[in-house]
Amino acid sequence: MSTFVEELLFPLSSLILVTAFYMQGQEFIRPMIRGQLVQSILLAVISVMMGIITGDAASIILAALLVVLRGFLITYFLEKGIMKSQVHLHEKHVSVAYLFLISLIFVLTAVLIVYSVVFSGIRTESITGNQGILVFPLALFFQGLFLIASRRTTYAQIMGYIEEENAIVLFAVFLLPIPLLIEASVFLDVLALVVISSVVVVEKFTHERVVELRG
Amino acid sequence: MSLVFILLIITLILPLLSYLGYFSRVPRLDNAISLANVALALYLYEFIPYAGPFYVDFTTWVFILMVTSIHLLSQVYSKSYFRNQEIWIGENLFNLLLALFTTSMLFSLEINNLGLMWVGIEATTISSALLLMTEKTETSAEATWRYIVIVSAGVTFAFISIILIYYSIGTLQISSILAMKAVPTLTLNVAVAIALIGFGTKVGVFPVHTWLPDAHSEAPSPISAMFSGVLLPTALYVLYRIYEIDPLRDLFVWAGVISVIAASLFLGYQTRYKRMFAYSTMENMNIALVGMAVGGQYGLIGALLLLLSHSFGKAGAFYSSGSILRYTGNKMIDGVRGLWKSMPETSSALLLSSFAVTGTPPFGTFFGEFLIFYSLFTVHYYAQLVLLLFFVMAAFISVNYNITKMVFHGEAEKNGEEEPVMSGLALLSSAIPLLIGIIYVVVTIGAL
Repeated sequence: MSTFVEELLFPLSSLILVTAFYMQGQEFIRPMIRGQLVQSILLAVISVMMGIITGDAASIILAALLVVLRGFLITYFLEKGIMKSQVHLHEKHVSVAYLFLISLIFVLTAVLIVYSVVFSGIRTESITGNQGILVFPLALFFQGLFLIASRRTTYAQIMGYIEEENAIVLFAVFLLPIPLLIEASVFLDVLALVVISSVVVVEKFTHERVVELRG
Repeated sequence: MSLVFILLIITLILPLLSYLGYFSRVPRLDNAISLANVALALYLYEFIPYAGPFYVDFTTWVFILMVTSIHLLSQVYSKSYFRNQEIWIGENLFNLLLALFTTSMLFSLEINNLGLMWVGIEATTISSALLLMTEKTETSAEATWRYIVIVSAGVTFAFISIILIYYSIGTLQISSILAMKAVPTLTLNVAVAIALIGFGTKVGVFPVHTWLPDAHSEAPSPISAMFSGVLLPTALYVLYRIYEIDPLRDLFVWAGVISVIAASLFLGYQTRYKRMFAYSTMENMNIALVGMAVGGQYGLIGALLLLLSHSFGKAGAFYSSGSILRYTGNKMIDGVRGLWKSMPETSSALLLSSFAVTGTPPFGTFFGEFLIFYSLFTVHYYAQLVLLLFFVMAAFISVNYNITKMVFHGEAEKNGEEEPVMSGLALLSSAIPLLIGIIYVVVTIGAL
């Protein structure tokens, strides 16, 4: 049972990366929110699987938190924000295909550098005993960073931030289970930031250079 | 349950109680409660060091004192600052967020767990983001968004550091980690280096400082004072606690020196006074970072002296800036002239605070910087010392040249009367670093 579950971890982690690239490739906001929903649910599934492998009940509670807070509440706030500010159309002047290619190159290069420079010298072993699986949270983290940097709308940047947080959770879940209290705080934290961002988004949907903020 | 534990819990609750006091019929009850918190912070000195659910040593105590004091000053100042002005988020929410912001900073300082410290630092972002947007202008909305995105991304990065520390040591309890004196490994090195980038984002370390000038210049002045005076030092404190686990002295000292150089260069071409003070904060935080990294008898004491004096001096600078902005409606350095005639009290406060934040003798900041420079000398970091001396001098000239221009050059138009509470608080806050400097001299001479 445990071996079968371990084997499933790789394809599921790959699917998380696929959702990340899917979000990067979207011009419209709503599909990005849905992509975030799927990514969070996949993360919850992986957390349950890690709970089965390690026999740690905290991972199951973590999965429940992921479903309730990221799967449901954050999606609810973001969708509600879209309806309120009528910004569900798309981000203008974005060459999605071009950015998608750049993001692939950026993520691959960043992961290669981090792995060869940092992780090659560190004796890190994931709970599954396979160090290679840590590639997925790293790639997800850099993809989140790229999403923030490459887009101008507040929503897209929120997605990038959530993606980064998902990467950290995945990293922690694979490397070792950190105390649940801290993980729970992290989730509430993201929720609060999304709520605040929803307030900001009403006032400022896109972000361009401002003369007064130069220098 | 020990008395000190209960007292520390009370320090966390009092800012929230002061918010409730705002609704009371008793006049100024909220300010009285915040003043009680300052008194309590002073009283805590009797109980240090303490390790339990909270961890408080002398370093922590200095930071607690800073946070409670600047909270009191900003709370009083904000009432006058926002008089006859609509607050976009509403007065109630503003006061509540200010209380939560203070509590989250105190929580980050006091808690004996690196993971929960991280949570506290994130909570400071959540509680302060909307405070920044109080005046609801296009620029402040953009600055708020940059603050949320850049700081959150940076602090998320810092969480990797927390995970790696837990992976290496198996605990996040600060007192246990410091007691066990962990053997430095490559994993710990990486964790501490990542913390420098992650928490460094909030401290204002170059090149991840970019949110700092935007947020400081666009926030209302009492909030700029909180950001500059205590938020950045709180993040620096957390970074210091991680640094203590595995001191990467060379990396931290060079990061500090390069950031001071960058801040000094940015200061050279600033055209807006609040933005100029923001870069001055970046400079001071990084000098303190150098002091904490060198540590020992001179480095750490120098850093604490610098941070304590800077918190009041910079609060004074932002309170003066707030008064000037209210009076002239102009954010540009070149747009403000002849303040000594039109706003005599505020211009005195501005001058004093300018001297205080640039390390002019005999302000406390001067002795703090002197001790840090001396600590560099004792560990033979000559190149870093020479670079610091040169660029700190350049920053001194940039800031004081601009301020003296604003105060003494040209003729000002009389737009109204100075608000006595605002200018009085600015003056009081700017004079405290001078007092700290004098006390330091008296105590040092006494010890000799």
